[in-house]
Amino acid sequence: MNNSRSGMSRALVRRETTAGYLFLLPSLFFFLTFVVYPMVMCIITSFFDSNMGKNTQDVFIGFGNYVELFHDPIFIGALKNTFIIVLVSVPVVMIFSLWVANCIYDMKPWLTSLFRVVFYLPVVTGSVAVTVVWKWMFNNRLGIFNYLFKSMGIIEKNINWLGDSKYALACIILILLTTSVGQPIVLYVSALGNVDQSLVEAAEVDGANRREVFWKIKWPQIMPTTLYILIITMINSFQCFALIQLLTSGGPNHSTDTIMYYIYYNAFKLYRYGYGNAMGVILMIIIAVLSAIQFKLGQSDS
Amino acid sequence: MKKFLAIVLALCMVASLGVIACAEPATEITLWTYPIGKWGNAEAVEALMADFEAATGIKVTVEYLDYTNGDDQVNTALEGGAAPDLVMEGPERLVANWGAKGYMVDLADLWDEEDLAQVNPSCVSACFTADGACYEYPVVMTAHCMAINYDAFKAAGADQYVDVESHTWTTEGFINAVNALYEYYGEPVADIYCSGQGGDQGTRAIVNNLYGGTFTNAEHTAYTADSPENIKALELLQSLEGVYFNAAENGGEEITAFRQGLLKMAFCWNIAQQLPGETTGNRTYDDEEIVFMSFPAEDGKAALCGGIWGFGIFDNGNADKIEAAKEFIKYFCDGDGTEAAVRAANYFAVRDVAGGNDISGIWADNETMNAYNVLMPYLGDYYQVTAGWATARTEWWNMLQRIGDGGDVATEVATFCANANAAAAA
Repeated sequence: MNNSRSGMSRALVRRETTAGYLFLLPSLFFFLTFVVYPMVMCIITSFFDSNMGKNTQDVFIGFGNYVELFHDPIFIGALKNTFIIVLVSVPVVMIFSLWVANCIYDMKPWLTSLFRVVFYLPVVTGSVAVTVVWKWMFNNRLGIFNYLFKSMGIIEKNINWLGDSKYALACIILILLTTSVGQPIVLYVSALGNVDQSLVEAAEVDGANRREVFWKIKWPQIMPTTLYILIITMINSFQCFALIQLLTSGGPNHSTDTIMYYIYYNAFKLYRYGYGNAMGVILMIIIAVLSAIQFKLGQSDS
Repeated sequence: MKKFLAIVLALCMVASLGVIACAEPATEITLWTYPIGKWGNAEAVEALMADFEAATGIKVTVEYLDYTNGDDQVNTALEGGAAPDLVMEGPERLVANWGAKGYMVDLADLWDEEDLAQVNPSCVSACFTADGACYEYPVVMTAHCMAINYDAFKAAGADQYVDVESHTWTTEGFINAVNALYEYYGEPVADIYCSGQGGDQGTRAIVNNLYGGTFTNAEHTAYTADSPENIKALELLQSLEGVYFNAAENGGEEITAFRQGLLKMAFCWNIAQQLPGETTGNRTYDDEEIVFMSFPAEDGKAALCGGIWGFGIFDNGNADKIEAAKEFIKYFCDGDGTEAAVRAANYFAVRDVAGGNDISGIWADNETMNAYNVLMPYLGDYYQVTAGWATARTEWWNMLQRIGDGGDVATEVATFCANANAAAAA
């Protein structure tokens, strides 16, 4: 009797497991086809001299592309620019969005919603539209920045913001910040709203001031959100591409090249697919290592 | 019984699929077109395709590319094995790039002795490779030129340096005009735009023509931008206060700034800009007169950069579709559809007779097109088919950006030539 029951139970488990796998199958198919397969192909192609020619055979060159990468001054410059963007934008986005969220989350609901809409608007607006507006604002002849700064006596003559290697990268970072803060603010507002109020009240009864309440009570509770925001902001900053392509095309003189743009430039402008893929692998390793470190730090904090 | 019904139902479905397949037109092909005049306008192109379908029974599905992302879209499609059957663009892409990489069908069999005699020789030479393969069948051509704001020239007293009858001027006249305009307006009057993304023929033409330099050798095997003539021209442009190397501007933006009256001359120009329609034709936004000009040369006789556009066929391995695509080409390049195709492109036909019809007078009623004919004798060498062209184009922008940033001209052109020639030799 027992044997028969356990046999039925095993059959049931097997049937449910099979059903579970079948439900997973569509997403697994897309994951394997559009994520895993391209990743594997990217790694494989990075060891070849591949130029897209139909009649030319890809030539295996081992680590040739990787060796060339680290002797390529433009790649080194792109790597440097990418890290500058990440190192500036990630802390600024994190701090600014946490500050804004902390200021608005306990306001009247309509006021909180209003601020959320204001900051989220650049995120939902098409990146091309946003970029075109910024391009006009930075225009060297008609741009509003030149007009304002000249009116205030800060500059004497017009500056070609996007055409001058001294300013171009800073302009890109500024635009990136405006389009990056929306989502973290919304997430932080939500996380702060979910903080256990009884703990906050208890701390206040015990005489904790606002700063202590924030760091001792709220901060630990919003840590998972902080970790999530940190990682997505970092990945978005590493993958900054559309802004560069639409605003400067990596110029002037490669001063705004990032790894993402340089991958595109080599693969689609110069048709050096193997070389572009080698850069993709390097970028993947950098992001994976930094994400792992952040996860580790986040776990030890919690 | 249930099983029987299910089988019958399944058979009915399969049969209906067969009926649907049989009901489809004999052949259906796809065309991807860059915005060459109204070939970028869906309404105009759909009308052309409807005529073609009525004449041949072949249905054409059209997708529209732009010059910012079009190449990427085609390259991605090629990589993914999803290239269109037909593409409309110029020899620099069809012959020197996709053709050279083996993606195109050889169209040499579409040419007979009469075609070779009829079609403009520089078009024939641009569409064929050295070993006799043809990867583009041309339909229209033009000469790229520049334009001036004639009212601004008159206001600054610079109109004395241009001959608006012959639409030519000399290098000395150009220098004097730039200086006069700069003195009058107090700000740069011309941009060497170099942010990338199209319009590069304009900057090449001004550099090459000022002192008679060339971009490549006559055999189209090497880049020669480091010649003393080109160095002299770039040093001149770098030294003129009225000329600004603008690394934040591309060709399209230069045209906008010119129409806005911010620039007094534009190097990215051709007849399509001059015709009224989607643009303001030969007027700026402030209603000042725009006059098209040849590029300045020491003797006033410039070698203008040609624009040639036509169709190529991607080799997708389907013989029926390739045959249909060839029929499309014959219809629009040497058949009943040629006149409409040329009118849609807003350029000049590459031949006078197409499909037995005399099309030499199709622009007879158009004053602007007739006037523009004065520049066609200055059509220069079509060097855009030189190997390594994709690299040369991007290196050209980078070189101009470095020169604009104060770089030494001789050093920068040497770097350009080294990189471009390395790509040509690869």
